[in-house]
Amino acid sequence: MTEVLSREQRCALLAEAERDELVALADECLDDGAALRVLSGPEVGIVVAQVREPVLAERFLLGDVLACRVEVDLAGQVGWSIRLGEDRVAAVAAAVLDAEAEADRPRSARVDELCRTVADRLAAREVAEWAALAPTIVEFEELT
Amino acid sequence: MGYASARGGLASIIAAEELVRRERDHAPVPWVSTEQITGRFRLAVDRVMGEGGLYDEPTAAAAVRQAEGDTLEAAHLVRAHRSTLPRLAVSEPIDPDEMVVLRRIVPAMREPNGPQLLGRTTDYTGRLLEKPDGQPEAQPQEPRPGVERSEEQRRPRRFLEVLRKLDLVADQRLRDDPEPVDITRAAVRPPAARSAVLAAMARAETSGLVSLWYRSMLGPDNDIHEINLGELRHGRLPLRVRHPHTGNLVRMGEFRVTEAEAIENLDGADEDRSKLGVGYGLCFGHNERKAIAMANMDIANRRFGRTGPLEQLLLLTTDGLDSGGFLEHLKLPHYVTFRSIMDRKLALRAAAEADEKTDSRVADPVGEESR
Repeated sequence: MTEVLSREQRCALLAEAERDELVALADECLDDGAALRVLSGPEVGIVVAQVREPVLAERFLLGDVLACRVEVDLAGQVGWSIRLGEDRVAAVAAAVLDAEAEADRPRSARVDELCRTVADRLAAREVAEWAALAPTIVEFEELT
Repeated sequence: MGYASARGGLASIIAAEELVRRERDHAPVPWVSTEQITGRFRLAVDRVMGEGGLYDEPTAAAAVRQAEGDTLEAAHLVRAHRSTLPRLAVSEPIDPDEMVVLRRIVPAMREPNGPQLLGRTTDYTGRLLEKPDGQPEAQPQEPRPGVERSEEQRRPRRFLEVLRKLDLVADQRLRDDPEPVDITRAAVRPPAARSAVLAAMARAETSGLVSLWYRSMLGPDNDIHEINLGELRHGRLPLRVRHPHTGNLVRMGEFRVTEAEAIENLDGADEDRSKLGVGYGLCFGHNERKAIAMANMDIANRRFGRTGPLEQLLLLTTDGLDSGGFLEHLKLPHYVTFRSIMDRKLALRAAAEADEKTDSRVADPVGEESR
């Protein structure tokens, strides 16, 4: 993953980052004394999972997914994050990192680096998952 | 018997609650952590997420612990908790074809597109009870090397597509795109949109839905005829919302679901008998029983829901909180209603006894007085 991340890609990867790595880097971002204001949240709530089923191509509401959303202002730049679950601290840290990168502040490259670490981890997890699943594929033998 | 208003019971309720808390929270055994519950009792957790209508494993695990393993009570706790939460967003429509499969079987076809992937299942293992003294020793295992994987292995094309290519499926796809009914905001009654029925089944109490499905085959309604399970999947789906500043889609993460497609032979007088009907089921977590029952009931409801009681049964009798709540309320005091019944019985008896005393007539043979 070497291309420039879009804001949506960054938000998506920060949404799946570990809490500790988010908080540690967010603390670094704030070390220069930049003013931080929480504009809204962090708010724990639900995101309605809307599905378009494949038989009649009809939409229905499957249920709700727990999520946490926050918006911050870091040195004049708005940062936003939404994550699954109810970890408010992680959500605030992700929003700080979004603002840091969006404003191209000193730690923006570190934010991108973290995003790539998360992407690599997700890819590695997928590889390991398939390595465990693949032996359960049924191989049929023709009986003659 | 007369009725006198009364008060009381608060002290006993508090004492009963204290008994629950003491025995549950301070039992002389180690505390069960949330991670232990999600790790060891994942299917119970998944069931509670589905019936509670809220996907979050730690929340469902906490409910299972508080409910002492009673999944319906746990789902009740989750629903109550959910009702306190604000709605942050409605996701963009999720395409189930994006599912990354963890398990996928196609019972209707030996070699479909993509794998017959058994995944994590006990379907083929013997039901032999194991009673180990402790955690079984881990078997030494070499780290598995990476296995080459194709897009079709991880996101297989659905079996329904094969049937469509063969022109074997009655094409009932909608021309318009109606807004889905939100059953969490307004109670639905028959006749209801299909989106309401699907949503109701996704939250239905699993055993209740399975029971209704079984009744449909063996019971008096005879709503389901020849059925096959086309495809069954357990996997992960992405959840996306609109970014508030760019307006573009942003992925929040993934959640697990179970999906089923049921195939039914169309044989009604007003149906195209050269085609098959397909029913759809999708629910939170890994819950194959519910997804299969849901898929079968979807196609049955589309065929028979408006001409028989099926839609009413699905909408009004499969919700665990509704049925369980009605049952539970019977344990609350009903002194007044029962006294009313008693009064009526006693009054009838008194009237009968009074009749016996005042009326000494003996029944005459019919017509005797008229002679």
